[in-house]
Amino acid sequence: MKKFIERFYVAIIFVFLYAPIITLIVLSFNKSKTRAKWGGFTTQWYSALFENEAIMQALYNTLFVALVSSIIATIIGTITCIALYNMKSRTRNAMLAVNNIPMLNADIVTGISLMLLFISFGFKFGMETILLAHITFNIPYVILNVMPKFRQLNPNTYEAALDLGASPIYAFFKVIMPEIMPGVLAGFLMAFTMSLDDFIITHFTKGAGVDTLSTKIYSEVRKGIKPEMYALSTIIFVTVFVLLLIVNIAPAQKEKRLAKERENLKNGIVKKSFLKPRTKRWMNRIVAGLAAIALIIGSVQLYQKSGATQQVVVYNWGEYIDPIVLEMFTEETGIEVIYDEYETNEVMYPKVASGATQYDIVCPSDYMIQKMLDNDMLAKINFDNVPNIKHIDENYMIQSKEFDPENQYSVPYCVGTVGILYNKTMVDEPIDSWDVLWDERYKDNILMQDSVRDAFMVSLKRLGYSMNSTNPEELEEAKNDLIAQKPLTQAYVVDQVRDKMIGNEAAIGVIYSGEAIYTQLENPDLEYVIPKEGTNVWIDSWCILKDAPNKENAEAFINFLCRPDIALINFEYITYSTPNVEGRALIEDEAIRNSEIAFPDLSKYEHLETFRYLGEDADRMYNDLWKEVKSE
Amino acid sequence: MKNKHSKWLAMPFTVWSILFIIIPLFMIWYYGFVDSEGTFTLDNILAIGEPEHLKALGISIVLSLIATVICLVLAYPLAMILSRLGVNQNSFIVLIFILPMWMNFLLRTLAWQTLLEKTGVINSILSFLHLPTLNIINTPYAIVLGMVYNFLPFMVLPIYNAIIKLDKDVINAARDLGANGAQTFTKVIFPLTLPGVISGITMVFIPALTTFVISNLLGGGKILLIGNVIEQEFTQASNWHLGSGLSTVMMLFIIISMILSSIFDKDAEGGMF
Amino acid sequence: MPNKLIDLVNITKSYGDHVVLDDLNLYIRENEFLTLLGPSGCGKTTTLRLIGGFEQPDVGQIMFEGTDITNLPPNKRQLNTVFQKYALFTHMTIAENIAFGLKLKDKSKSYIDDKIKYALKLVNLDGYENRKPDSLSGGQQQRIAIARAIVNEPKILLLDEPLGALDLKLRQDMQYELIRLKNELGITFIYVTHDQEEALTMSDTIVVMNQGYIQQIGTPEDIYNEPENAFVADFIGESNIIDAVMLEDRLVSFLDAKWQCVDEGFGNNTPVDVVIRPEDVVLCKPESGTIAGEVTHVIFKGVHYEMEVMAGGFEWLVHSTVMHPVGEKVGISVDPFNIQIMHKPESEDEEVAYVEE
Repeated sequence: MKKFIERFYVAIIFVFLYAPIITLIVLSFNKSKTRAKWGGFTTQWYSALFENEAIMQALYNTLFVALVSSIIATIIGTITCIALYNMKSRTRNAMLAVNNIPMLNADIVTGISLMLLFISFGFKFGMETILLAHITFNIPYVILNVMPKFRQLNPNTYEAALDLGASPIYAFFKVIMPEIMPGVLAGFLMAFTMSLDDFIITHFTKGAGVDTLSTKIYSEVRKGIKPEMYALSTIIFVTVFVLLLIVNIAPAQKEKRLAKERENLKNGIVKKSFLKPRTKRWMNRIVAGLAAIALIIGSVQLYQKSGATQQVVVYNWGEYIDPIVLEMFTEETGIEVIYDEYETNEVMYPKVASGATQYDIVCPSDYMIQKMLDNDMLAKINFDNVPNIKHIDENYMIQSKEFDPENQYSVPYCVGTVGILYNKTMVDEPIDSWDVLWDERYKDNILMQDSVRDAFMVSLKRLGYSMNSTNPEELEEAKNDLIAQKPLTQAYVVDQVRDKMIGNEAAIGVIYSGEAIYTQLENPDLEYVIPKEGTNVWIDSWCILKDAPNKENAEAFINFLCRPDIALINFEYITYSTPNVEGRALIEDEAIRNSEIAFPDLSKYEHLETFRYLGEDADRMYNDLWKEVKSE
Repeated sequence: MKNKHSKWLAMPFTVWSILFIIIPLFMIWYYGFVDSEGTFTLDNILAIGEPEHLKALGISIVLSLIATVICLVLAYPLAMILSRLGVNQNSFIVLIFILPMWMNFLLRTLAWQTLLEKTGVINSILSFLHLPTLNIINTPYAIVLGMVYNFLPFMVLPIYNAIIKLDKDVINAARDLGANGAQTFTKVIFPLTLPGVISGITMVFIPALTTFVISNLLGGGKILLIGNVIEQEFTQASNWHLGSGLSTVMMLFIIISMILSSIFDKDAEGGMF
Repeated sequence: MPNKLIDLVNITKSYGDHVVLDDLNLYIRENEFLTLLGPSGCGKTTTLRLIGGFEQPDVGQIMFEGTDITNLPPNKRQLNTVFQKYALFTHMTIAENIAFGLKLKDKSKSYIDDKIKYALKLVNLDGYENRKPDSLSGGQQQRIAIARAIVNEPKILLLDEPLGALDLKLRQDMQYELIRLKNELGITFIYVTHDQEEALTMSDTIVVMNQGYIQQIGTPEDIYNEPENAFVADFIGESNIIDAVMLEDRLVSFLDAKWQCVDEGFGNNTPVDVVIRPEDVVLCKPESGTIAGEVTHVIFKGVHYEMEVMAGGFEWLVHSTVMHPVGEKVGISVDPFNIQIMHKPESEDEEVAYVEE
């Protein structure tokens, strides 16, 4: 009975640990792109995965970084343990305390501090900086695992080897290494795992175009995680799991066989010894590891195209371009695109501002363009090189003047509105006002945007104020309303409005129009509406950075994106509305071409505004008020 | 292994940690102690006293403490059961616990969303069985669950490691001297595995204290943890000074945990494996 | 007279503020079984580790056959060590352990195989080649450690309390085994122990050490019978050590009585220590002893009785084959040859006298 309870307990824990894993595996076979709906069984994501060069490259990068950083960390960590072992305890404790810092410090602090370091020392951000950062946070895990093994050592063993004529180095490898090997391996494994799983530190220390799986996944968050990622995770997981079973079961059986043989041979008492198979296993693992290194270095060299003469360094939102467009551009112009992605304007800004990476072209939103202009970070675009600007809807050029008064610095790329998405089966009456978000009947069924400006936009607009208000009284009023609204909201989310609305998790959500089109395809019960009090017309535009090394290439790139056929390809990929009139005309599906959601007639709506940058003080005021809302 | 040259072996680490740990740390402190004009100020440090920060810190501490206690309560019996499974399973057990980490952290946490949502997997199963549904998504309970889920391995492994190192005769001796099962545990086994426990507590409590992804994804963004505040200052408000200042304050907890672990774990025995 | 094989010259060694060896001088002859004997912390293991090359002296030189080897690393020295905790390589088989040093010397495989066979035979463990150290008993592991050392044909074998972890019976067996081994191999043994009986049984020469100083060097008989100071006397077997005054040559006074002795040259009225071994104390009728007293304790020890006698205000330890019951009045007399006179230490600090051979 006791045994049963124990088994049951272990089983429960493992169900707990592995339930999300199984969920992800199931999702990898889901025909529907959203995690909220089961669209039938498919293996298409697996085949899509291997065709997705970006993901495969991110996989190579991830394995490369994880392997190299954990090997170097293992070497440094193990060497350090030798030194620590011989040290006075006071020095040792001091060093161990330092060693603990990266492990205990919040990732974001480690990441930012390393970024600051790399900037001030003039490091070029790239694979090298990621490696340095990963080695830094990997060393502690190695030391943590190796140090206890040193404490268990019999110091005489090493001396005995010396005594028998071994040189110190020979003695170390022949005698000490086998003893500490389990710790070294465990440390290596731990370091490898941590490196594999890290996002935040990588994000702040990576250079343009160098993506790991983690950064790739995070940059996909805004547009929804691609099912290929589930497929890839499943493959990684299953591979490791199978390897694990082989490695652990094979020696166990071999051990049994060996033990039997020995018993027969000696016919005496043979104490079980597991050492031989274990050594062999290490050998196998080391050989496998070396093979992996060779493979990875090989593939790294493969994709690192040698010194292209013409290039353009692009910093764009995640999932904000069809990869094929990049290929077409290079094919047509011979200009290589180094492509990097970010998740929010605010994450993009410091990376660009710090100059850590020399980007040529970025795609910020309206207010961020203004902020960058204020800080003199953008270059005037030479529109002689961008003749295709003529395809861009005049309305959006006018709207752009809110942040780029003379249309000199930016070319609209994606546009849209913010509105209310509601589920017709859960909401009876037609919705036309932000007021519904304060309606008691929908308590716990409301999804709000989890960003300062968007949330305050809703509240300010409902009160009839400008969403660019800096009037403290208006903001205070808006804040109080938001606090009053908080008990009614189910959650503050950014990207998950989409999945949650498709999955019927909530009745009403604040959403970007681009997402609305997609959600309607997945769930026909959903309806999008622009409230009568007005809303935010947002514009993401291409801008060239002031110190762009490849300005003409950047202009060629913008021009290319403004070509109607390219705009169409991107629209179909991103699903966010394109301001490209000719491009829109090429859309085959009439319903979409004429969709009021995708291409609203802006003149029909009142009180439309675009975000402006309000300055540092106003920013701070918004942030403090928002914190008050969130902490309520 | 006394060797007069062994001191030099500490060089790579010393240089490395000065370059990539100490100097960056000072940079964060520098940012924490100046304002955007570069003049010295204590405002960023004292900002922890602002009501919303204090509240966020308070909630963070409470939730991480609860998560740590739950981890400990779950992990200790688990480690004891696992330790009895027998020899040569050691590496297997370690691997089985870190294996989930090979699936991306964000994906794992998102998967919990799929499991916990009102119309999620768990509730579908429960309603199919005509059982009452579970509504913990977007509540502190979900955050605690996420913390426990993500950090449980860091509690299990050091404790497991401490238990398998226990000399079985010590336990036998305790029984021999008349201690019953419970007494043997509280007077002998638990104190002897304390280094592992402390190490586990640190490894769970500190990351839980500074997390922001878990509270965002499972807490519905309705609960502001100190990690969220810091993250927001760095990535949304672009106020690195305040972010650095608050981080500096958070380092206090790290220092406290270091002191604690050096008191209870003098020889740094609490390794993971 | 055989050559000096090892010569330690003016060796001083300290750890931090703690001086472990202070200006030590000692030489070891070829083919000698020399034992460093003393309580823990006396510096005996440090001396051995200096010879082995695991430590370097702060001051002084270590000579090996006339060459200075003070700074030679252990792997370059022609001697091998058997460690207290065996220090076998647990991840290797017995054969691999024994072959370790030979492989480093690039010996041929057949030579190594022969050596392994020979060494295992020598330590009575034939057929254990493929076992792992973990599967052997403590005594067996110790023999392997010895075998591993001797296959390298060292000029000197250093043994650091090799029998310390073994039980009594096994220890005694191993003592004879070690003597046999030494005779068969014909090499020099330097042996460290804190067990005086072990030292007396096996050694040609015993070096008694305390607090970093050599107290006495001599044959087991010398050390036992003629201890040069109270420390040696007390450490080597049990003794009665009594405050005394040397009245004149061959006459000493203690416990308010005058005793005949054979020592000369201490001067007149000099305070000294007197050492009398328990087996040298003769119990007789109260009236015929030099002093008289009463038996207070009796224990049967097998070969003899151990008794305590209160006489002259001192509790005498007496070994005798004749039993005197508790309470019996007895007289005490000692043969003058068995009264050992020793200098008193000059100050508290120099409780230990420094003796040079």
